[in-house]
Amino acid sequence: MVPPVQVSPLIKLGRYSALFLGVAYGATRYNYLKPRAEEERRIAAEEKKKQDELKRIARELAEVVFLGCLSGNMCFSSNLPAQDDSILK
Amino acid sequence: MSGAAVTYSKPRLATFWYYAKVELVPPTPAEIPRAIQSLKKIVNSAQTGSFKQLTVKEAVLNGLVATEVLMWFYVGEIIGKRGIIGYDV
Repeated sequence: MVPPVQVSPLIKLGRYSALFLGVAYGATRYNYLKPRAEEERRIAAEEKKKQDELKRIARELAEVVFLGCLSGNMCFSSNLPAQDDSILK
Repeated sequence: MSGAAVTYSKPRLATFWYYAKVELVPPTPAEIPRAIQSLKKIVNSAQTGSFKQLTVKEAVLNGLVATEVLMWFYVGEIIGKRGIIGYDV
């Protein structure tokens, strides 16, 4: 077997200091990013909740207009809510 | 099946330790002054311009060694962020 190489102390020092710097950098960046990601998830969940509320209200409104249309007299074009997306929700 | 894995890996682990005990150990405190002297020599060669006397082969080898030292930083970052790809926030 080839005998092991005697590594220069400068290289050893460089390697292990790079390792420690990397661990420190990774840990600090993780702690920096974690609360920001949680905040963003929280905001996204709130937005989704609001959007779901609005969709629910719009759907119920559309149902009322539909029933009025069926019973014959309440089907004016001014009654229909403005559909900004498809019916296939 | 794990018995076969153990018998396969034992001699290879032994070779790994044989080389790692000499090549991968951290620098002892006694080696640090020698490391600083090597660093001074490098800075000196940069200042006096004697680095231009290096052969291309030597320069390429030095570049490879420097790249390997810098890669240890990213290994450290992987350890610090506790994940291989990306930050798991």
